[in-house]
Amino acid sequence: MFEHVLSFIIFLPIVAGLLLLATPANRTVARFTGTAISLAALVLSLDLYTKFQATGHLEFIENIPWVESLGINYSLGVDGISLFILMATSVLLPMVYFIFSTKEKGYYANLLLVQGAMTGAICATDMVLFYIFWEVMLLPVFFMLGLYGGEKRLPATLKITLYTIAGSLLMLAAIIYLGVSYHAQFGEWSFAMDKMANLNLEGRVAALAFFGFMIAFAIKIPLFPFHTWLPDAYTEAPTATTFVLSAVMAKIGVYGVVRFVLPVFDMEFARYAILLAYLGVIGMMYCGIAAIAQKDFKRMLAFSSASHMGIIALGVFCMNVQALTGSIYQIVAHATSTGVLFLFAGVLEQRTQTRSIADLGGIAAKAPVFALYFAIAMLASVGLPGTSGFIGEFMIILGAIKFNTMVGVLAGTTLIVGVCYMLWMFQRVFYENPTPQSEGFKDLSLVEGLTFLPVIVLIIAMGIFPNTFLKKITPSTELVFSQSEPAAVHTAAVTPVQVPGLNLEKN
Amino acid sequence: MTNDLMLLLPLIIVGVGAIALMLASAYKIINNTSAALGSALVFAVAFLVQLSFCLKGNAVLFSDTFNGILVANTFSKGAGLVILACGLFTSLSSQTYFKQNDFCSPEYYSLTVFAASGMLLLTMTQELISAFVALEIMSLAIYILVGYNRKNVVAAEAVLKYLMLGAFAGAFLTMGTAFVYGQTGTTQFAKIGQYIAANGFTQSPAIIGGAFFILVAFLFKAAAFPFHAWVIDVYDGASMPITGYMATGLKTAIFAVFANFLVADAQLHAGWITFLFYVSVLTMFAGNLIAIGQYSLKRMLAASGIVHSGYLLIALVAVSTEAFSGAVIAYYLAAYAAGTLGIFSALSYLSGKDEKRVTFDDFKGLAKVRPYSAAAISIFLLSMAGIPPTAGFMGKFYIITSAIDAGQVTLAVLGIISSVISMWYYLRLIINMYFYEAEESFADTVPSSLASACTFALAFCVFAISLYPLAI
Repeated sequence: MFEHVLSFIIFLPIVAGLLLLATPANRTVARFTGTAISLAALVLSLDLYTKFQATGHLEFIENIPWVESLGINYSLGVDGISLFILMATSVLLPMVYFIFSTKEKGYYANLLLVQGAMTGAICATDMVLFYIFWEVMLLPVFFMLGLYGGEKRLPATLKITLYTIAGSLLMLAAIIYLGVSYHAQFGEWSFAMDKMANLNLEGRVAALAFFGFMIAFAIKIPLFPFHTWLPDAYTEAPTATTFVLSAVMAKIGVYGVVRFVLPVFDMEFARYAILLAYLGVIGMMYCGIAAIAQKDFKRMLAFSSASHMGIIALGVFCMNVQALTGSIYQIVAHATSTGVLFLFAGVLEQRTQTRSIADLGGIAAKAPVFALYFAIAMLASVGLPGTSGFIGEFMIILGAIKFNTMVGVLAGTTLIVGVCYMLWMFQRVFYENPTPQSEGFKDLSLVEGLTFLPVIVLIIAMGIFPNTFLKKITPSTELVFSQSEPAAVHTAAVTPVQVPGLNLEKN
Repeated sequence: MTNDLMLLLPLIIVGVGAIALMLASAYKIINNTSAALGSALVFAVAFLVQLSFCLKGNAVLFSDTFNGILVANTFSKGAGLVILACGLFTSLSSQTYFKQNDFCSPEYYSLTVFAASGMLLLTMTQELISAFVALEIMSLAIYILVGYNRKNVVAAEAVLKYLMLGAFAGAFLTMGTAFVYGQTGTTQFAKIGQYIAANGFTQSPAIIGGAFFILVAFLFKAAAFPFHAWVIDVYDGASMPITGYMATGLKTAIFAVFANFLVADAQLHAGWITFLFYVSVLTMFAGNLIAIGQYSLKRMLAASGIVHSGYLLIALVAVSTEAFSGAVIAYYLAAYAAGTLGIFSALSYLSGKDEKRVTFDDFKGLAKVRPYSAAAISIFLLSMAGIPPTAGFMGKFYIITSAIDAGQVTLAVLGIISSVISMWYYLRLIINMYFYEAEESFADTVPSSLASACTFALAFCVFAISLYPLAI
């Protein structure tokens, strides 16, 4: 069984979700199944984590030929980069079943489906298989948002769906282009990710394929200026969906950049990295400032999440090991902090029936445990030393300064914006004058408190003992840059794209 | 000789079955239900025989027995399989459809089988005269089927339009044949190819003109731009199962003969590639534009059929004498047929008496009332939109791969843009079915019927086909 552990983690939730949809199960059965299956996936993932060797290469490889005439395989595997996103998925998703109850079994079924599809996208090592999971993970989100979302859910659903599908289809063309190029250069068909690094790509079509990938991932992350679907979707979606979107799905966009774009398009990447890094910084600033102005705390968190995704993306674009490792670390940190904040926002909304910051106040006095948890997650989100958020952001800024002083300084200063909106919101919601809505606010129950506890502990543990986690990530991130060794050589020869008005650091 | 006749067995079964059904209905010894089951039996037997040939995989040319008129290669066998499956599902869902509509008579089923015999012959033909004969066998049966509801004005309009324009297309085909024959002295695809290879394509105006007329006839039947305008009204006027049959079986046959015609001669293909490129792009975008504006589901599906013809034309542009592209076309036809037939068989039992529910709004909230039907329809729509893990996605993937492999990157990208646009009208129905409250109870629909069985079987097919690996 153990050689197929990844398949089990992927298909247990998918099969369970489909069975729930196909049978007339009621919602209690659905919730119980969801809890059991997601815990089973968690146990399998923890087992996987302990057995992971940190060689830097892919481990737990499965490979079954599928379309042999085109070299498409059902192939799975994890390395240090995908392992951590996989762990974030498996650790965080079971919480949802404990915290929220709904009327509909479809809700739980879709959550299971999205978990399986996301895990599949993370573990797939064949580009076609990756694409299939990548598209499939959108479908449950489409249904959850459209069926169980807020009042303005329909436009939000259409926006996120059409936006992401448009991006993905461009990526499909790029994937096929890579496969065809491999056929042309090596005389055999293959869509295996690791083989694509051997490709020798140049010319206009290669640049187009690069953008095909980049736009698809930029929409998913979302990178400025492709972020416009995010506030609506995050705000209108039911809490669990927002959580899934922000904690895991956005990360798969970053993962895609690391997996496809960095090793394969090293030349284009070196050329456009500065432009992309600036987009990351602009996204950080823009979404951070937008977050300050929000009156709705869920919407504020949506912008905050987008702002943090900006810095994670920046870490990838800096093209050095520190920043990349920082990004992977920050992916987990962001999932545990901002992701969990969305769950807390869901708790707030469920108990007070409002999402307006102005309607709330003085909750800390009513619910000290909740306030403490919220404060820890919030401080991790703004990067306080001693929490998970600090390590990742520190490494990214360090790498950014190495890459380009201006970018590093701008990114470092922008972090302050995050502190502003978070602390201000915390003050207004938890401390200032109590309002009628927050009058009868109940603290977290024992079950809820225990459910959140592991994540809160994880936030602190990741802040204090980063090396336990880093040693599993670093071999893989180092390998990313040794693989694309030619890039380092080429980098000097490649003229970076000039950003008008922003080339102050050129001296 | 026996071996060759054996390969013709599916066609013989279908032909004999059609005649037997026709005689039985003339002598009034069968009723509607037994005619439906009888035709389904004919299709099922022929399908199984064809399947056994496909699995054996011996490509035998008929050159000795039939003078190079017919062929039974992997491609024609695959297309034949799709056509027989289309016939089977059409017969079965017609049976349910006519529980709610009363213009049926046993001849209806005999005509569907006759049409299938024409289609089967069309997939195997390697020669222009027999292509014409097969086309007319198929078309005559379809003309009658389109206008089967004599009391319906829309159906009468549809059949008149289709008959007039279809007769023109037939005339174009014969004229083209005459031109080509006048110059080359042969009507066989292979020999025309040899002639052009020896003398060049642009040397003779008769060849250019003849080939142009033939292409026009095929493009007309395939509903490609600028010969697509008839599709909307004709599909709208025909009864639900027949619309599904035309959209799938007929299209499969036409694209099979079209591909055979082009593959047989690389020179001819090269001569028309630019023309086909533009036709394919315009077909996709014209179809999309029409589909976006539709209010009726049946008309939207008709327009989306035009778009899918555009995708198939991409494959035809990329087609080469290697079998790969032929397999791509057959695969796409199977994937498209599963989705389209599925949605039409679902509509056969959901649309109610006199097809009173055919607009997008009529299906609001279907998921609340008939969750399994709504789920099946969503699967078909996702397949047509090309979302994995459905057959439609794999079909589109193979088509785009063959296009990029043939160096047609622009065409591939335009195809992808077109499928982004098409997402809108497919999603619109899913949104209507799932995200609105039910306005109707759908109480008059038959709860369990042959058509709903077909629907669920086809929903299963959509996934099964997607897992089936394409073999070169």
